[in-house]
Amino acid sequence: MSLSPVHFIAVPLLAAFLIPIIGRFSKEFVKIVPGIVFLYLSYVAISLFPVALNKPVVEVIAGWKPPFGISLYYGPLAAFLTSLITLMGFVIWVYSYKFIIREPIEKYYMLFMLLITGSTGIILTGDLFNMFVFLEITAIAAYSLTAFLRDRDGAEAAFKYLLIGSFASAFFLLAVMLIYSQVGTLNFADIADKMNTVSYGTKILILIFFLVGLGIEAEVFPLNGWAPDAYSQAPSPIGAVFGGIVVKASIYALMRIIFLFFNFNEVFHFLLIIGIITMLIAEMSAMKQHQIKRMLAFSSIGQMGLVIIAFSVGTTDSVQAGLFQMFNHAVIKAMLFFAAGYLVFHSGSKNISALDGLGRDKPVTSFFFAIGALAIMGLPPFSGFWSKLYILLSVADAGLIAAVVLVLTASVIEAVYYLRVVSRLYFNKETASHSEVRRTPVSGLVAMGVLAVVIIVVGLYPDYLWHMLKPAAEELINKAAYIGNGLLK
Amino acid sequence: MRKVLAVLLLAIVGYYMIDSFLKIPFGENRNTVGDYYLNTTVKETGSVNTVTSIVVNYRGFDTLGEVTVLFLATTGLAAILFENKKRKRRLQHASLIVRVGAHLIYPLIILLGAYVFIHGHLTPGGGFQGGAIIATGVLLMFMSYRSFEVSHKLLVYFESIAGIAFVTIGLSGLIWGTSFLENILPLGIPNSLFSAGVIPIIYIAVGVKVGAELTGLLDNLLKTIK
Amino acid sequence: MVYYISAILLILIGMYAVLTKKNIIKIVIGLSIIDSGINLLLIAIGYVKDATAPIFSDSSLKASGMVDPVPQALVLTAIVIGLGVTSVALALVIRLYDHHKTLNIDKIRKLKW
Repeated sequence: MSLSPVHFIAVPLLAAFLIPIIGRFSKEFVKIVPGIVFLYLSYVAISLFPVALNKPVVEVIAGWKPPFGISLYYGPLAAFLTSLITLMGFVIWVYSYKFIIREPIEKYYMLFMLLITGSTGIILTGDLFNMFVFLEITAIAAYSLTAFLRDRDGAEAAFKYLLIGSFASAFFLLAVMLIYSQVGTLNFADIADKMNTVSYGTKILILIFFLVGLGIEAEVFPLNGWAPDAYSQAPSPIGAVFGGIVVKASIYALMRIIFLFFNFNEVFHFLLIIGIITMLIAEMSAMKQHQIKRMLAFSSIGQMGLVIIAFSVGTTDSVQAGLFQMFNHAVIKAMLFFAAGYLVFHSGSKNISALDGLGRDKPVTSFFFAIGALAIMGLPPFSGFWSKLYILLSVADAGLIAAVVLVLTASVIEAVYYLRVVSRLYFNKETASHSEVRRTPVSGLVAMGVLAVVIIVVGLYPDYLWHMLKPAAEELINKAAYIGNGLLK
Repeated sequence: MRKVLAVLLLAIVGYYMIDSFLKIPFGENRNTVGDYYLNTTVKETGSVNTVTSIVVNYRGFDTLGEVTVLFLATTGLAAILFENKKRKRRLQHASLIVRVGAHLIYPLIILLGAYVFIHGHLTPGGGFQGGAIIATGVLLMFMSYRSFEVSHKLLVYFESIAGIAFVTIGLSGLIWGTSFLENILPLGIPNSLFSAGVIPIIYIAVGVKVGAELTGLLDNLLKTIK
Repeated sequence: MVYYISAILLILIGMYAVLTKKNIIKIVIGLSIIDSGINLLLIAIGYVKDATAPIFSDSSLKASGMVDPVPQALVLTAIVIGLGVTSVALALVIRLYDHHKTLNIDKIRKLKW
């Protein structure tokens, strides 16, 4: 059996269905299953990468050629994103191995695996209704995991997330309905081919429905009210999954739909404005937060605003920079959530004021947090510097100097609130009494260490990754090639 | 104040939706992929129920996703309602008529549910509908009798084995055919019970899975007393 | 024509319930109404006048006299997904009631919008 993109969906599903049976025999083995699955999937993603760079792999399911069957489109962009997601999934599994100690553990691993599988499915699919199904898989796993800790705030955050997420799926389905009634097909390549037969007014309405439906998951302003609560109430590794994986898949879906169906200039201008507003409001809100995980959530929203700005400029360079920023943000934000998880655990409270002086008690974890903070602010020699630089260069190349100024302003605000936390960690006296300060488990340290190495290596040698992203960026912009490949011409 | 804002917002949204949907002609046959499915379903899949052949064969990947959604919902519900000490059901005894009637109807409902999902490729219905009917029968018994219990271990086994069967059938399409979920068994004579290749097998697995899952879900929801 | 308008009205009524009602069980019922409205709208799109169900139970039935089967297949999936979301919502309602002992969303709304 040769490797093919359907393994990304079939193998985790098989493992998830097997876990209840395995759980009857050995609880310890259940904890290892996701690790094996993600290791295998990273291997598949990386070995399929050179094949995808050559010519995109279009795998048909059930033997029916598109547009009459569902197909998975594995081009350079999907290859890059799935490699990122499966590797991050493995690292987050390493971190959760010892972090999650509250029952029911086997359900946590099932939900965790399926959350990441749902995100992978969104990226791989070439069919519109299939994307809706995977969006729902991701959403339901996310709702359940937000309430996993079963405390009062968690249940409330999950309920709010559920209400807003249901609106998102309702609007997405309305958009699918309108498209089906106008063009009669559900395959991305086929719809892109026939989209010019749709009238302008209907196109705008479909665009609005997609923007609301996908924008809620992608956390654009003003639809991101659910995000700070969900990120802060979920267990920390799940916060890392939300910020590093789920939101990337949603932004990919939004951008793929816009670049394929709606690529006219007014849409890009509108997206640019939305991206700028999202970024500014999120960074300003982050300054006012007293709880560390809510601050990280707002910072995540702001970074996604920056990515949207990069994508909406529309040139190959800016899309490439946006993809680079997605990669860096996934790695850095995951590390920040990991460090914050243990810092909160040991200080006993979610407030930033409780972190005073922890730099002395927990030097290694605080050091990792400091690296993450410096990297996300965009300081050399960390990876965040290069992605921000490339975004600013490409935006300036397109002549949008005002946007450059606003991005720099947001970066300054970011620097303020991150340095505030870092200085509290190291320079303040210990105020609250810390509950017995235990050592951070090895699994957590290993996970954070791996991410820190990635941040530093990519910061010192960015060119290798940068050149790998160029075919991915070109694939997103090139509508005609997608139609040709997707319909198996 | 809030109600006024909500009504205003919904009026705007509703106006645009009605405006654009009224432009879609109602009842006209448009040129869609559905025509292809109608024309080729008997020849290429052997199933006479076009909706079944779409759900299981042409767009079988969506069904796999849907089965996953149901599995996730059951797992999520069990995780959210998890207690270290088991919860108990509010024990109420229904009246005599309900009890006797439930006892008589319950096996017939299970039989009807099994019929619906076994004949999914011949008559309207299929795995999801049959599974829901079975769960409704079990709910009737839950509501009528104090002591009716269903063993969770058995449900978990049914659910997992049915799910594994579905994915294994898909993978066997990959191994012995050319693509995931391909129809590799002989197609048989249309309109007879043993036709349509893997479609009835998949639907039976789906029916058993949905029935077991919905039963477990209802059992979890009924147990609200600590 | 009437079918489109009534399905859209159902969706709007459901959204109104979610946005304005105070009892969280009524909000969950509103979600369920939105799902029903969307499914009805989806099926109504596939209708062909004077056509029958897409099942070839008799060899004399022609494909041109049948409704579009694709929206029906899509609705099958959408109904199950709606069920999944409603069940998770109800589990959360039970949890919220356990913690707060009230079903009024104004009393529960502690986390800022």
